[in-house]
Amino acid sequence: MTNETPTVPQRLIAFLPNLRRFAISLCHSRELADDLVQAACERAIIAAESFAPDTRFDAWMFRILRNLWIDHLRRVRTAGPQDELEKAHDVSIPSGEAAAHARMELMEVTAALQKLPDEQREVLILVCVEELSYRDAAEVLSIPIGTVMSRLARARKNLAELTGISLGEKRSSDTKGGVA
Amino acid sequence: MNIEHFDDETLMAFADGELDDVTSLRVEAALEHDEVLAARLAVFLDTRLAVASAVKPLIDEPVPEALAASVRRMAQDAEASKAITDEKNVLAFSAHKKRPQGERSQWLMPIAASILAVVTGVGGFMAGRSGEQPRGAFETALSTALDAQPSGSEVALGNTETLHIVATFLDGRGDLCREYDLRRAEENTTTVACRANGAWVTRLALTSPRVEGYVPASSQDMVDAYLTSIDAGEPLASDAEKNALAKAE
Repeated sequence: MTNETPTVPQRLIAFLPNLRRFAISLCHSRELADDLVQAACERAIIAAESFAPDTRFDAWMFRILRNLWIDHLRRVRTAGPQDELEKAHDVSIPSGEAAAHARMELMEVTAALQKLPDEQREVLILVCVEELSYRDAAEVLSIPIGTVMSRLARARKNLAELTGISLGEKRSSDTKGGVA
Repeated sequence: MNIEHFDDETLMAFADGELDDVTSLRVEAALEHDEVLAARLAVFLDTRLAVASAVKPLIDEPVPEALAASVRRMAQDAEASKAITDEKNVLAFSAHKKRPQGERSQWLMPIAASILAVVTGVGGFMAGRSGEQPRGAFETALSTALDAQPSGSEVALGNTETLHIVATFLDGRGDLCREYDLRRAEENTTTVACRANGAWVTRLALTSPRVEGYVPASSQDMVDAYLTSIDAGEPLASDAEKNALAKAE
């Protein structure tokens, strides 16, 4: 084995911010997200040999992290009610946004995102934030590409409805100031 | 004028740059004179931008130092143990599974159950559970999963248990073995089972409480000690694993 391509552990470190962003979007809690990232890194290092170097590292990592998250949800569901989601309201609002107006919109979008069903939110994040292709997203979520597309389309229509984004009639520039 | 209809998914794929060239041209042509279509397309363009703008900046948030440091340590340990195995080409115990020894407890389990606590909780090694009543369907499902699923996979067994297969390896006698976790809400059982007479026979099962949903590191130390005692080889890479499992069936 050559040392020319970075190893999984090396890549992991560089990828931490992305991984954490994905984790926060999934679970709305920084505390939980950090645990999740930690556990995913552990898992990735153990399973490093199963990563095919010619495939996308980000998709591989997202998949590991998301499986852990699903696992966690499954446990939490059997264990009883969870309050993490409740107390986590504006958690993913970026701070330091200059314009109050832009910030308001981001809050709307963030709040709307949290109202979406988990399965719609995760596909939305993978494609629109992490910029995975439909195919890679399908891989991460272990679902057919057709399901990715139908979920993603539904997620976006729901989001548009929740936030009042265009939705057909008007597409004036004032609806999305500063977003482009 | 003919108005061609495009469904939402086609429009969305166009917005995301995932549509094939031929259809893209048709969409473009239709957009020139179909305002309703343009408005529908705008929903997909705008939502993508809106979500990206709202969530992307999270990446600028500094990663908490504790997390970053912990992952750096894990990475360094993994690299170091890999270097040892590469150099000496021996089955170094410390490199087994390239697992970062002891690190996880510092982060995930600050009050990690000590080895003593694990022993107390479990009654030490249970060398084989052959005396236990088989649980019928559960055992069958478990055995089927062990026959076929690759390491790293998660399989739900019943309503409350999840099987996570950790690794596949050969022991000192050349028996095919698998290490796996059975996770329940409150506890986790790490098991080493080996193939004998056409079945998976449990060699070690270690149950420990879960804290915050994760498995204490200390029980892993005991599993590793056991693996050393049976002269466990390096975990098989996925192809070798597939072949070995196919042969074993």
